[in-house]
Order: sequence, then structure tokens, then C-alpha cells
Amino acid sequence: MRAFNPTAPPGDVIEAGLVCEDLQRFLFRNLAGRADLEPGSQQLLVGGVGSGKTTELLLAERWLREQGHVLPLYIDISAETDLSSVNSGSLLASFGLHLAQRLPADLQAPTPNPDRSERLKKAYNKVREYAYGKEEILSSHLADWDRMMQVSMEAFRHVFTFQPQVVRNIPGKLKPKPPIPALSRDIQEIRAPLDEFLAIAREILEDIVVIFDGLDRLLDPTKFWSVAHQDLRLLREIKVSVVATAPISVLFGTSLGQSVADHFDRVHHLPVIAFDPENGSLRSVLEKRHAHELMSRTEADTICRYSGGVLRDLISLARDAAEEAYISDHHSVTAADVDKVVRQLGVGYLRGLGPEAIKILFDLENSGSFRVDQPANVELLLTRRVLEYSSTDFRAHPALLSVMPRPEAKGA
Amino acid sequence: MPEFSSQPFVDIARRLDVRGGHSWLAVLSPPTDSAVALDALQTELRSFLQVPTRVLSLETLTFEELLEAMQQPSDDVVVLAAGADLAPDTWSSLDLMRSALERTGPTVLWMAPDAVARLTEFAPNIRSFIGPSIYIAGPDGGLMGEAERQHRLKELEQHYGLSSEEIVRRAESKELPPEPHFVEWLILLGRGDLV
Repeated sequence: MRAFNPTAPPGDVIEAGLVCEDLQRFLFRNLAGRADLEPGSQQLLVGGVGSGKTTELLLAERWLREQGHVLPLYIDISAETDLSSVNSGSLLASFGLHLAQRLPADLQAPTPNPDRSERLKKAYNKVREYAYGKEEILSSHLADWDRMMQVSMEAFRHVFTFQPQVVRNIPGKLKPKPPIPALSRDIQEIRAPLDEFLAIAREILEDIVVIFDGLDRLLDPTKFWSVAHQDLRLLREIKVSVVATAPISVLFGTSLGQSVADHFDRVHHLPVIAFDPENGSLRSVLEKRHAHELMSRTEADTICRYSGGVLRDLISLARDAAEEAYISDHHSVTAADVDKVVRQLGVGYLRGLGPEAIKILFDLENSGSFRVDQPANVELLLTRRVLEYSSTDFRAHPALLSVMPRPEAKGA
Repeated sequence: MPEFSSQPFVDIARRLDVRGGHSWLAVLSPPTDSAVALDALQTELRSFLQVPTRVLSLETLTFEELLEAMQQPSDDVVVLAAGADLAPDTWSSLDLMRSALERTGPTVLWMAPDAVARLTEFAPNIRSFIGPSIYIAGPDGGLMGEAERQHRLKELEQHYGLSSEEIVRRAESKELPPEPHFVEWLILLGRGDLV
């Protein structure tokens, strides 16, 4: 049953051979191939919550590593910094740090090269300061108070009144503290050490590909763009290929989202997978995890149908159904176990839905009509109550539909 | 309005036990005596899973503090307590940092029932991790009623072909392996001192 852990680290799941690599028609190879062939290219991977984006990115990273001439860097930016308060510069800082950490391991030079080591060390120190900030000694002379006072008082962490030195805390990009330094200065600061790293890396390896995961958590395209815009521009200039995740609101909804998408060489959409008993691609996900040892094909198909094709919901429903059977001392998963967990999932999606939203969902169900340019409807997409099977095919989540109270008939 | 399933705390513990590491689950606190129920949940998880269990308040910890607390250590049980008035901005921030919250040990979100709407609305990535696993703290704040207790004892006796007296005798003579079912059994008999 532990093969059905929807929250296991995707890297472990790939390692354990539990992933169907062809499920998205080998999308990871398209991502990786283009990044490899076109240095400086920029690709977006867009998909809803739980659609399998991280798995595709990690498969792409593995594929690139296997090519031998590429250094792929997978970075989950949301694990490294608080995206709610970070501004532009954080992607570059993180890229620089990851590159610095990987270079000594990847540059297994047959003979020691003191000059290269010194260059690496200097560049690393600059990137580290850029990322985490530094304490800069401004002056030991009273005359420099004027200079100090030009800096916002918020930037001071310590002022040693009993010592001759004045220390200014300069914020870094991964632990932002106000005020955030001006953008143009930031870009210039990081460019030189990155160029140094890249020159060294390219002496042995041909290309660097950076894969930014976690940016899809920035649900609003405005926030996504404020974090990514300047950083991606510099990465393109220094010919580093980029693959990044983005929220689904980049594809649908506001005009800003569309203009964001226009800045990329390719935007890949990872839609949910429609359940088709004949095709069986969703069933294959369960089979790969030995679902047949826990449940019949009928129960497996019911789980596939009510998952709506959201991969994490699919795995969760299967795991919880098996767990339900265990708690109830059933020998295998029964229809009642499946009904119970589908209902649980549906009630979770139902909570907080107002009458207006419920009406939108019933209209979608009855007539297929769904205005994707409406903010309230984009919200339904972001929260997975509405699922996108293509850019024109939208449906309410089937688990939610199964518990949604039907509107009372007029005159009843 | 359809409702979530109600679960006694012992079943919450059984679920976490069978899941192993990296698991997420939410429990909705009872409307009254929430603090007492949270204490009972903590005790149940600690006794059943035989690992330390900590409660962290989402209202009071900063990003850095929460991150550190989640990872040091990362293999015990953490109960994240979220009140009904946890602000939408806080939910959004938590959602953004979900990757940083990932850990090897189980994570339980202890929430006021009213908070589910905000979880779904402002933290879709965390909600996705929890999936269908949202349970109402069972009768008596997760504590079993007498009929439920007797039913469960009977289930255990039938399953193992042993009487409760025999289980106590074996525990007293240190012959009982520290299996989760036996721990549960002793707790149901009011003999947690033998665990």
C-alpha cells in the first residue's frame, strides 16, 4: 500500500520505478531535448495542482544528465525561499548557488588547477553574498555618517555605538529584508560571477540547463512575472536554457497571463487526463503500483473516473480506499470503501463554494459553458473544482459533482 | 450539507501507521473543548505510533521558525494547529512554502471546521496533499464511546484469537511484541501503563 503515497517525494517514486514515463507522451523528452538543442531557450510547463509537473521535470533532469554533455540543475525555488515576500533576483541567486555547489563535483580535472580554484572561490563568495546578504563595513570615520544616513534605517541591523565601525546589513535575495536593492544594480552584481562560473563550466561541459520548479505556486500571473521576468531575461542573455513551471492562470484568464506566455519559446500544457475505460492510461498508473493486489478492476475504474484525471487525486483515492478497507477489516477494497473516499474528496472541494459558484458548476455540467476569462472561473480552475482537459474542454471535478446539492426546481 | 467522515483518534493513528512516512492528513477539531481534544490526539499518536509528537501553532510561528521546527527533527509526528481565524494571507504563504514543509514524518493539520473553506481557497497545494483525508474528530473529541470500545475490543479478540485478559497477562510478563494493534488493545483496556 505504501506504493500509493501521493505525497512521497517524486524523485523517490521515479527511483522506485512507480512512474509511467509515457503517460504524458514523453513530454519530459520534449522539454529536455529542446533545452539541450537550443541554449538560452526558455520553456514553461503549465499545469494545475497535482498534475505531475514535478515528475516530468525530474524525468527531464535525469534525461539531460544521461546525455553526458549537459549540466542540468533542478531547483525547487519554493523550498529555498519564502516566495510571498521575495522579489526578482532570487532565481539568479539560487541558480548561482546550485551551480557553485555542483561545479567542484562535475569538474573532475585530472590535474589540480589553482587558478581555476581561485576564480571559483571568488565567484562563489560574490554569489553567496548576493543570495544571503552581507555585513559591509562602511567606515570608521565620523564623516561617513552622511553616507550611512542615505541608507534606509530599516537596512541597519546593528549600529555599534561603542565601536568605531558602522556596519550596514545588506539584504540578500533568498532572505529578503527591506529595502530590496534596485533591480538594475542587482542584475549587474550577479552577472559577473555567473559569467565566471559559466566560463569554467563550459570549459568541460557544453551546456547548462536550469529547471525551476515551484513557481506555479504563485497563482497570480502578476506575482509570477514579478519574480521571474528580470531573472529570465538575464538567463537568456547568458545562454542558459530554462524550463520553469507556471500557474495555470498563465494560460487562462487575464490578458497579463497571455502576455507572460508570449515571452517563452514554448509553453507546454499538462492537462488532466480524461478517463477512458478503453484507453486505460489512468488505470496503468494504478497498475504500475500493483493496484490489482488491493482492488478489482471495477473499483480501480471507479477511482479513475472520480479522480477526474488529476494524478494526485487518483493516487490519493486509491491509497485512502485501501486504507478504508484496512480500517474496516475488509480483505480487499470494496465499492463502499471507494464511495466513502470519493465522498470525502468531494466534500473537501465543496466547502466554501457559494451559490454563484455552484450555479457556474451546474451550468458547466449541463451545457458545457464556461467563461475562462472570468476571474471567478479562473479561481475554480486554480482550486481544481473545474478541470481542464484541453484549452476548450472544461468539466467540473467529478468527485465534487457527486456531492454537490442539486438546485431546487422552480416552483417546488 | 454533506459532511466529512468522523474518526476516533485511534483510527487516525492506525491510518498514519499504515501509511508510513511522508504522509499528510487533516483532523477537524470539535466545537468545544478543542484544547482537550488536541491533547488527547497528541497522546494517542504518541502512544500508538511510539514516536514523539509535537504541536506547532500556525498562528504564532514565522516562516523561518516553522521551517526549522518542521525539519528538526523531520521524522517525528507534527501536528500543525490552525484556528478558524487563520488569515487568508497566512494560508497563501503556507501554500507557497509547501515544498519546504515536506518531511519524512507524518504531518497532521488540526483545523477548526470553518477553516476547510480557506484551506481549499487559499492553499490548494496543501489541500491537494491532504486529498480525501479530512476527518472530524470522532465522538467525545476523538475518544471512543463505550459501545465503540467494546466493538473494537471484540474485533481484536476475534482477529488474534486471544482474550483481553491474555493480552494483559502477556504484557505484564513482557511477552507482548510492541505491535501497533497490541498498543491500541492495551490503551482500549485502560492499561496504557503497560505500553
